[in-house]
Amino acid sequence: MLLLIKYTLLYGIVLMLVALGGMFSEHSGIINIALEGIMVIGGVAGVLTLTMLPESLPAFATVLIAVLAAAIAGMVYSLLLAFASINLKADQTIGGTALNLLATAVAVVISKNFSDSGSAKLNYSNKPFLFSIGGLELSIFVPLGIALLIISYIVLYKTRFGLRLRACGEHPQAADSVGINVYKMRYAGVVISGALGAIGGLAYIVPPVQTWNFEVGVAGAGFLAMAVMIFGQWKPFNICGAAMFFAVFKSLANIADSTFLAQLHWSSNIYNMMPFVASMVILAFTSKNSMAPKAEGIPYDKGSR
Amino acid sequence: MAEDFVIEMLHITKEFPGIKANDDITLQLRKGEVHALLGENGAGKSTLMSVLFGLYQPEEGKILKNGKEVAIRNPNDANALGIGMVHQHFKLVECFSVLDNIILGVEPNKLGFLQKAEARKKVVALSEKYGLRVDPDALISDISVGMQQRVEILKMLYRDNEILIFDEPTAVLTPQEIDELMEIMRGFKKEGKSILFITHKLNEIMAVADRCTVLRKGKYMGTVDIKDTTKEELSRMMVGRDVQLQVDKKPAHPGDVVLDVEGVTIHNDQRKKDSVKDVTFQVHAGEIVCLAGIEGNGQTELVYGLTGLEKLSGGKITLDGKDITRESIRQRSKDGMSHIPEDRHKHGLVLDYSLENNMVLQRYWQPEFQKGGFIQSDKVREYSDKLIAQYDVRSGQGSSTIVRSMSGGNQQKAIIAREIDKDPKLLVAVQPTRGLDVGAIEYIHRQIVAQRDKGKAVLLVSLELDEVMNLSDRILVMYEGEIVGEFDPKTTTVQELGLYMAGARKQGKESK
Amino acid sequence: MNKKKLSHSNLNSSITSVLAALLCIVIGMAVGFLVLLAINPAHAWGDGFVRIIKGGFHDAPYGVGKELANAAPLIMTGLSVAFAFKTGLFNIGAAGQYTLGAYGALYCAIMLKMPWYVCLIVATILGGIWGAIPGFFKAYFNINEVITSIMFNWIGLYLVNELIYQNGTGPMYDVRNTRTLNLSKNAEYAQSIIPDFGLNKMFQTNSTTIAIFLAAAVAILIWVILNKTTFGYELKAVGLNKSAARYAGINEKKNIILSMAIAGALAGFGAGLYYLSNVSQWNPLNSTSLPAMGFNGISVALLASSNPIGTIFSAIFISHISVGGSFLSTKYYPTEISDLISGIIIYLCAFSMLFRGKIHSMLFKNADKTNVNAEPAPAKTETKKEGK
Repeated sequence: MLLLIKYTLLYGIVLMLVALGGMFSEHSGIINIALEGIMVIGGVAGVLTLTMLPESLPAFATVLIAVLAAAIAGMVYSLLLAFASINLKADQTIGGTALNLLATAVAVVISKNFSDSGSAKLNYSNKPFLFSIGGLELSIFVPLGIALLIISYIVLYKTRFGLRLRACGEHPQAADSVGINVYKMRYAGVVISGALGAIGGLAYIVPPVQTWNFEVGVAGAGFLAMAVMIFGQWKPFNICGAAMFFAVFKSLANIADSTFLAQLHWSSNIYNMMPFVASMVILAFTSKNSMAPKAEGIPYDKGSR
Repeated sequence: MAEDFVIEMLHITKEFPGIKANDDITLQLRKGEVHALLGENGAGKSTLMSVLFGLYQPEEGKILKNGKEVAIRNPNDANALGIGMVHQHFKLVECFSVLDNIILGVEPNKLGFLQKAEARKKVVALSEKYGLRVDPDALISDISVGMQQRVEILKMLYRDNEILIFDEPTAVLTPQEIDELMEIMRGFKKEGKSILFITHKLNEIMAVADRCTVLRKGKYMGTVDIKDTTKEELSRMMVGRDVQLQVDKKPAHPGDVVLDVEGVTIHNDQRKKDSVKDVTFQVHAGEIVCLAGIEGNGQTELVYGLTGLEKLSGGKITLDGKDITRESIRQRSKDGMSHIPEDRHKHGLVLDYSLENNMVLQRYWQPEFQKGGFIQSDKVREYSDKLIAQYDVRSGQGSSTIVRSMSGGNQQKAIIAREIDKDPKLLVAVQPTRGLDVGAIEYIHRQIVAQRDKGKAVLLVSLELDEVMNLSDRILVMYEGEIVGEFDPKTTTVQELGLYMAGARKQGKESK
Repeated sequence: MNKKKLSHSNLNSSITSVLAALLCIVIGMAVGFLVLLAINPAHAWGDGFVRIIKGGFHDAPYGVGKELANAAPLIMTGLSVAFAFKTGLFNIGAAGQYTLGAYGALYCAIMLKMPWYVCLIVATILGGIWGAIPGFFKAYFNINEVITSIMFNWIGLYLVNELIYQNGTGPMYDVRNTRTLNLSKNAEYAQSIIPDFGLNKMFQTNSTTIAIFLAAAVAILIWVILNKTTFGYELKAVGLNKSAARYAGINEKKNIILSMAIAGALAGFGAGLYYLSNVSQWNPLNSTSLPAMGFNGISVALLASSNPIGTIFSAIFISHISVGGSFLSTKYYPTEISDLISGIIIYLCAFSMLFRGKIHSMLFKNADKTNVNAEPAPAKTETKKEGK
């Protein structure tokens, strides 16, 4: 049971972080389908930083620097999406898809270039990221994630920034007519999603293992996070709940061998499939009353009103 | 400066690709006056106001505030100069509360955190002072159009604006609400606020304005004092010729029942209520029946139900003796129903198709236009050329023009040509003249009357009471999804209709 | 006079599209060259850039044959995406549909020993079913087809891997190669391999079959359907304006499902072409990445501005540079450089509408003054999906 909680938290926090990222972007009016790619970029940047940091550095500093490196990389990468979809008014889905494909290629090229073996595998130590409370081994991303969740809620609903951001996603013409710079707000939304998505990417890769092959990417976790966001109705705490719900499915695979589930003799393929099937079922039921920001996906053109 | 102008727009020119929307226009607003800006649809009124509000930058001309030149680069600049605007299409965020909408852009805050308490106090005080009843915590999506307009007005007052622009504010109101709005405007005037009132309705100008500036096709026609002018003169200035606003038509000779609607109810899943409730009426051959009412009282949904775009949750529809309640959209069309839709861009046209492809939108599948699943493009071209000539549809490249590039009036003409040429038994026309200039409106009115005289049944849905009074042989008023009264245009008045449209009165079913 | 004008403006827009595509390619290649420079400046030109540009011709005729063998399925996945674009849908699920198609083809070939054309048909049907599912979700639950397609990509991948692998005991699985059984290693399967009519000999390869011609034929067929038939008229109407299509009495739900099913079928057919030409075998242990063929289809479609005929050429181009990439010496460069280039090209294609507008106004500035009775054209409010 403890193991189930551990894996659920581990994976759930990842989904939540990335989904929160998507939420900021969509509240500003930009569909960020590039989350998968942003995770990869965040992962490769963070891991690369880890491999370069001296081991003598205190754990706290290591974590901080790696997380920051990932976040900054994600923010920079997400600027590509922002530029294409805000300034050039490109189709957001196509732009995002391109960035997903590009991210894997970039990650492989970079990791091959920096790894000793010439393969896309990077080795690192995940010790600084782990701590345990009463036998439950947790990663640093759990408290970090909870903090970011609360901050996200406050920013979105209690600040001037949040009010303006949401106005841009719902009715950009209205926001513009009261003097809000829609382009700037949308940039802000996308860049925040880049930071959260990238931290999520690092959180996906680092805690469980000490080596990562970047040819693999993040195996659809970014897309699942989008489903989490939709299931969570674009609201922070609902997203947290939805993320944990999805994570349970995923963690079943990890604990299957040691529990009654072992008797089912299901292969890993079936467990891997489960969160995706679950997300489809849930989407089918929840899609009728979607709370999606009304203007998402529509490029804002100052000329047309 | 001899006179005391708060705002002067001098020689403003604004061009869009292919058109001069404003061509050397001058407008001078005195302090404490109601100044009307009159012009047809497309005359350039909204463009001029957008320039004043900082939404567009003019190519030429300058703007003076109290005699000093100012630059208005965005709505923030306009706001800083005390200029506020109620837009024709409200700029309100539907899922926000009234209060959030009012403070958006000028949020009281400490270190970025919202401080709504003081804002609420100010809003409540303002709404009491001017009699603008609103509930600060209601969501915009839950309140009536009239209240939404009050929110827009409060937005200006909350920003302490002194120059108030109203862009076509009466289009969504009942006659009684219009009177109320006029009263509110007079109140503002008394307080020394200056008002720019954009409209194409002459009665309202005569009722409330002090002076009036007239635009025609982007050009400045002059400014007149209301007390020295007449409706006729204004109308001549606006259109450039005498306008026969009364439609010439002979008395109707209603024949058999063509459309029979019995107890139709339509449920709206999103709002979780019935948008059309137990509606019963008939339309006879050779008459124009008009559904009047304020926008959003179920007219749209009722038409969707009649034409098959939406499912009924109850009731029965009979077309020329045939029960079509469960028929598909295509079958209804085959049975003799034509539909000029409310939104020509959403439903009426595939904007990125060529004109010829749009001309056969309802009949591309008919044997004359296809053979074995292959479209006979020469036949389509032939037919389209015929309609273009017959209905005088103008476009850059004839049948092969992409419809998106055509003017609104010609797009609408194309739809009307297509729907009338189907030779229907019933013509359903929803706001067929919305957003068009007088020439196009006259043309469309003539076509509709001609259809009636040919013995077609016509169901007209209109929000413009002038059009309703002019065109119809019978008027049905809808309020909150119900038909609340039936009138003869010859014996009723606009005021009487207004009371029913606002739900203040209702004809009892039993009393009929 | 109208006809002349029409063909003239059509020609103009074709020229514009081609130039926009070339511009994307040139910029993409330039960025690729910069990356080569950054990684290893000494070899960037001769051992890097030139090899990519030369593509299959680096090792002709073998390389050219390989290029054609890879281009055939690419044309199909490109068509799959392009067809969906034309009908207003973004089929990001070509990878999953391709996966199912691969299973269908291989199952019929290995287990049922069917002739190749039957295998192809089964691949097509399975792909079509996998495409129809997101269409169904879109039509009846109004869930964005992009999300659904992505989910079904992964579901399809895990499903097919499970069916083939079965913990290493699957009858289609060859433990030694960790892939499905090689069709050409066993005479039993000979009838399932697409005939080559001497192409293999000509190119000195063993997987260059008539697949490329089949794919080109299908591309022409799709062009005819889209442009000449009432069915195409309906599909495009739904794609351009769903509400207006509905108003015109077109069953838009049926059309959405059909169009996704056809898109899926095209991708499935492509997988059939690939695996029945025995270009390579399925690896069921690869559980973390979807077939790249599916995603490259997006680049193909975008480069071709969703024109079915155009996909033939853009597929050959994409195949050309990725074969070129595979000839890079791993001593100096990772082969993924070509993926990087095609990623950049798609990114550029995403706003190629803008390029097209610019090029068009530069070239044909005075040619078309369309709007005589002018009024600012109504702004597009709906999300502009590629294509038209």
